[in-house]
Amino acid sequence: MSGSRQALPAGPIVVVAEQGPEGVAPVSLELVSCARALAAGLGGEIRLAVLGEKARPLAEEAARRAGCPVTVVRAPGLREFQGEAWREILAPLLAAWGARAVLAAHTTSGLDWLPGLAARLGAACVTGVEALAWAGGALTLTRTTLFGKALEALRPEASPLALTVQPGAFPAAGPAEGPEPTVEQITAEAPALCSRLLEAPEGPARDQALARARVVVAAGRGVGRPENLDLVRRLAARFSGAALAGSRPVCDLGWLGYQSQVGQTGAAVAPRLYIACGISGARQHTMGMQGSGFIVAVNSDPRAAIFNLADVCVVEDLVAFIPAFLARCGEPEAMDPPAS
Amino acid sequence: MRILTCLKQVRHPESLFSLEEGRALWPEPGLFKMSACDEFALEEGLSLKDALAGSEVWAVSLGPARAEAVLRRALGMGADQAALLLGEDEPPLRPARVAAALAEWARPKAFDLVLTGVMSEDAMQGTVGPMLAELLGLACATSVVEIAPAPEGGLRVLREMEGGRRQALKINLPALLTVQSSARAPRYPTLSALLKAKKATIASHAPELNAGAGDRERLLGLAWPGRTRAGLTLEGDTAAKADRLYAILRERALL
Ligand SMILES: Cc1cc2nc3c(=O)[nH]c(=O)nc-3n(C[C@H](O)[C@H](O)[C@H](O)COP(=O)(O)OP(=O)(O)OC[C@H]3O[C@@H](n4cnc5c(N)ncnc54)[C@H](O)[C@@H]3O)c2cc1C
Repeated sequence: MSGSRQALPAGPIVVVAEQGPEGVAPVSLELVSCARALAAGLGGEIRLAVLGEKARPLAEEAARRAGCPVTVVRAPGLREFQGEAWREILAPLLAAWGARAVLAAHTTSGLDWLPGLAARLGAACVTGVEALAWAGGALTLTRTTLFGKALEALRPEASPLALTVQPGAFPAAGPAEGPEPTVEQITAEAPALCSRLLEAPEGPARDQALARARVVVAAGRGVGRPENLDLVRRLAARFSGAALAGSRPVCDLGWLGYQSQVGQTGAAVAPRLYIACGISGARQHTMGMQGSGFIVAVNSDPRAAIFNLADVCVVEDLVAFIPAFLARCGEPEAMDPPAS
Repeated sequence: MRILTCLKQVRHPESLFSLEEGRALWPEPGLFKMSACDEFALEEGLSLKDALAGSEVWAVSLGPARAEAVLRRALGMGADQAALLLGEDEPPLRPARVAAALAEWARPKAFDLVLTGVMSEDAMQGTVGPMLAELLGLACATSVVEIAPAPEGGLRVLREMEGGRRQALKINLPALLTVQSSARAPRYPTLSALLKAKKATIASHAPELNAGAGDRERLLGLAWPGRTRAGLTLEGDTAAKADRLYAILRERALL
């Protein structure tokens, strides 16, 4: 890093574990591997911080799996994830440790507390980091920008670093060589908060058919009008075991129910075949379908991001293409005599 | 309640740009719009105003003169006041700069509630909102899909998280919320309000931006992403592409 400030922080690179309903989320191990890549040039030990009431048992497992020392941070009244509490507890802690960097997952949780914390610490802040590289002592961070269509390379020019890391971008870290990592526990003061958790209503039920489907045909805002959704529905009907799904805007518009939404805030699917119709390919969508066996994308924009992860790219207006494809599907029935 | 909505003007997402020496070149004349989630933030602000007598909604945008268009649209949708903070947006300002300029302008106005989109449609950083909250010393919650005044004062908000999980919070005012898209579709401007908005004078300010100097991060350049899969682009006319896709799917026993 080219920071010319004196007294650069000499403390650890702090990875803040992502917590899901089942405890420490797997993405936390990806954060550790990103931290290792960072440490190659930045130096410093890597420390995993696990916050909250259930942190202790989670921490021992996390320490074993991630192979780095873990600090369990408890505070009176601190139970499950709450962005404001995370920020208020971490801010003095990171300062006291002299953290060189703090890493969180690029999720609705990480983004809830990290940017505000970065502003408070005067940190260099980059969100959605997908890759990092060191060259000649200088760090380059890469993230997606411009509607998902381009990558931008950024150089931090301040210290510490505050990063959110795109889930799936780094491999999950395995245990390092050496002795069993330590787990320490500290109790922070109860932070003064301006918000309080309430009982949350249930989110939309998940569509089981979608999770099981062999083929998922998904409609995006590019369908344009609800009537065109019928085309996508007819396309889905050509495949056995197919389910119809949608991007978030299609569900927001009420064209499909939220149980059909694929992506970060919807369902994650991995069918044998995924056909994306009029979907731009925002990260928040592709996170929910990038594990599909074979991906076909139909989009009129040749630069649509969805093409970057498609096996087959169809640059076409879906209103013209789907009927042409359906017509082609109609032919075999006419041509192949029924086998009897 | 005095409500501020922060609205960013973005390029139309389907604008075809090219990259030259790591910089984006856009077609002229450019096509612009209000960033999608900012429009949802404005809708939430206007709904609160509808529900709470005596409320006022402000719209502010940081951008070049053309960004006035999103402010006129906001006035057309029902905002009461608009202000433009002049600043070039290409190459984009770093989020900390945007937050600092917005904070300086907003601080003396002491808004009860500041609303932004959860992230901009183009840069997708999700940082300006929470940074602005920090600079103004406001309570903050992100990815909010529902806002309602709480009977005991303050607001009850619903955040949406991974997999659609919900988190409900009671939050004190003054606060900043970043708004996620939801089923509450942004309203259309009314014709009469649009006509009025067209004639309205929009106050513009020229904040000290010092773009580039002392930034905490520096943009080195842009590049096209690599393709993670085969990315076979089908050639020919529509029927030829349909034929080819049909053949590929049959070959792989997917159809
Ligand atoms: C925290 C967070 C969580 C999110 N979670 C999700 C999620 O779970 N799932 C999700 O999907 N999104 C999610 N989003 C939203 C996401 O960022 C994108 O805004 C969204 O995925 C875009 O949906 P889309 O591709 O349908 O629409 P757009 O981005 O508007 O894309 C429409 C596409 O259709 C193409 N098109 C237009 N007309 C035609 C035509 N006639 N024929 C063919 N193509 C055409 C266009 O070229 C464009 O590429 C989330 C966002 C945030 C901030």
